[in-house]
Parts: sequence; structure tokens; C-alpha cells
Amino acid sequence: MAIDPGKQLERNARLMELLARTALADQRAFAELYGMTSAHLYAVALRILRDAGAAEEVLQESFVNVWHHAGSYVAAKSQPLTWLTSIVRNRCLDQLRRREVATVTLDDDEEGLSIAAEDPTPLEMLLSGADARAVGACVEALEQGQKQAIALAFFQGLSHSELAHHLREPLGTVKSWIRRGLERLRACLDGAGVTR
Amino acid sequence: MNLHEPGRADALAAEYVLGTLRGRARARFERMMRTDRALSDAVRNWEERLVPLAEELPPIAPPTRVWAAILARTGSMPVARASIWSSLGLWRALAFASLATVVALATVLLSPAPEAPQGTLVVVLAGADAKPALVASADRIGRYLSVKPVARVDLAADRALELWMLPDGANPRSLGLINATGVARVALSAPADEALRNIPALAVSLEPRGGSPTGLPTGPVLYSGPVQRMY
Repeated sequence: MAIDPGKQLERNARLMELLARTALADQRAFAELYGMTSAHLYAVALRILRDAGAAEEVLQESFVNVWHHAGSYVAAKSQPLTWLTSIVRNRCLDQLRRREVATVTLDDDEEGLSIAAEDPTPLEMLLSGADARAVGACVEALEQGQKQAIALAFFQGLSHSELAHHLREPLGTVKSWIRRGLERLRACLDGAGVTR
Repeated sequence: MNLHEPGRADALAAEYVLGTLRGRARARFERMMRTDRALSDAVRNWEERLVPLAEELPPIAPPTRVWAAILARTGSMPVARASIWSSLGLWRALAFASLATVVALATVLLSPAPEAPQGTLVVVLAGADAKPALVASADRIGRYLSVKPVARVDLAADRALELWMLPDGANPRSLGLINATGVARVALSAPADEALRNIPALAVSLEPRGGSPTGLPTGPVLYSGPVQRMY
């Protein structure tokens, strides 16, 4: 599903304005910001944490943080939704890190690593997201293993060892898939002018 | 973590954004990012490359309690509480707003004055059409629930509205009858915090005049809503 570029531009402009007004403690703007983005952000958190209660908590923490720090958003540096999504993703990854600390035998815990057979798969999402950004060719250029490892890490928050376990490949192989895949993505995306 | 090797900082930034930089290395990287401008720029660039991929995820609406909790933690507007609370017009207007908005506003309006920080419990009771019909609220240490209609509730003369607690895995317990117009004060057996502990939701059923003869709801459940704890 491709995103209409005009609509996207309009939405981003609105989100920037709402963030600016939120920085001035405008509660109405904050409410609209929540209305426009919470379902997207909740989906991101739910996918990584696979636990509704934890995802709700992350969403709550993230928006409280946005309320207090909306002023630190710099429109010239980030897309507003990217900025918000990164806040949520980082909190999710922090949660996973805390879980890892609490779970000594994580690598033996097969149950925690099972991936629900949901639609669409991370790989399909990676491809459709890339299409939306007109960088389908970049992702296509990745090898199958690289694509798969990057999609699972990005959408489901899997660590290197979880990826190795899930993909049934040696840790070293998975690490190099990720490293090479990211390098190739970067070269290709920067060539396509995605990053300013 | 040697960042001086060529390309190393960028590779770490990429894995930080992707999420595969984990454990202590992640925490350490975050600390370095705070003082290293080049590093935080590299992270921002990787966010711009990778994070838009998340936009294709099908959106999932979070439960309304998330927004209520956010509002409770981000402070309330300086609104004179009594005058707003007694303004039926406002509540009628709210009936047309979305459930989330009502929860939000109820939270803001019912929040206690800042000098006496307490908690409030709010329940927005909505019908099958998701339109709010009644708002119940209580101070967490208060011994009664105020129940106020926010929409027109048509009630035949020989019928009554009965308010129920819906405990998890147990039968509904009656809280008493409420009015279709005007505020009802429903007494609680203990401070609201305690009386509604383990009560995820309230509901209103249609009963014969005088209330359910059996001690359980006999008529249809007209409205229900989750108990939101604003503390």
C-alpha cells in the first residue's frame, strides 16, 4: 500500500505544528497529536513487546515524555512521526533489555522466542514500507538472509542471539547478515536521496 | 567500544536504531550519544532511514485508559471545578464527543486542586453505539460515587436504572439505583479506592421500578465502561 505523498506531506506539516504547540503546553494540540499517532505507535510497541499491558505502559510513558520534551523536537532534523516512533521504539527496547537482565537463561527459552504466525509477516512489511518510500529496489538488492534478519530485528525487536535461534543459523552468520545488510541499505538509500 | 575505527560509529548507530545493539553496550552507547554530537547525528540519520518502515504496520487503537493515564500525569487545566461540574450543558455537549475525549475532559475537570493531590476514579458508561451516557466518578478516598447523565436517557415510568460492579470472574454486585436525570450519589461500602479494587468495570442495567428483584441484573445491560484510576 503506497502512501499518497501529498497526504503524507500534509500530515507531517500538521504533526509538526502540533508538536510545536504541545511544547507550549497546549493541551488541545497534545490531544490531537495523540489522536493522530497513538494507534500507529501502539501497533509498533505491541509488535515488539508482544504484551498489551507493557505496550500500553510504553505508550503512556512516551507521551508523558513528549508532553514534557516536545520542545526538543527539531523539525529540520527529523520527520515528526519518525521522531515519535523512535521514542516509542527506544522505550520498547529498554523494556526488552530489562527483561533480558531478569531472564538469566534467555537463550534456552524457546517459548519466549516463538513468533506468532500473523499477517503480514515482518518481511512483507519491510517490503511494503520500503515500497512506500520508493526504495523497494534497495531492499530487493539485499540477500534473503539479510532481509529476513533485518525485518525480524526491526519489527519484533529480536536480538542477535534470538535471531540466530529463530533463523537456526550460527550467531556469526546472523551478525554478518545484519551488518552487511545495513551497509548495503545505507549505500542504496543514501544514493536514492532518502536522507538529507 | 572503539568509535575511532572508520565506519565503526556509524555501524553501531545503525544497530542501535535497528535494535540489535543490546544489553550494557546499548546503555553505554546511549551515554556516549548524549555528549557526542556526531554520534547522535548518525543515530538520527539511521532513524530517518529505518524507522519510516514502521509506518506500514496496521494501526491498532490503544485502550482509552492509556490516554486517561497520560492526562492524569501531564497536569490539569486551571478550571473552576464546581462550576463546570454543575454545568449540565457541558456534559450534554460532551455526549457528542468521542469516548476518549470525554475520559480526557472528565479527568481534567475532575482532577483535584493541586494543593490537595489525591486520586480520582472515573467511569464513562457508554452504550452499544459507544456514545457516553453517564459518567461516574469518585475521589479515591471518598465513600460515594457521583453518577451524572451526559446524554438523554429515556426511561419508562415503571422502569429503573441499576448500577453494577462487574468483578473479574464473579457475579455482578449491585451499587444501587441511579437517576436518568440529575446526579445520583451512590454510597460505597468503603473508600472508593478499596470498594472498587479488583473491579475492572461498571455497568447499568434496565430493571423494574425498585430495582432487580433477584440481586442480579434481570434486564438488558444498557451501558458499561472500564474503571479508570487517575492516580
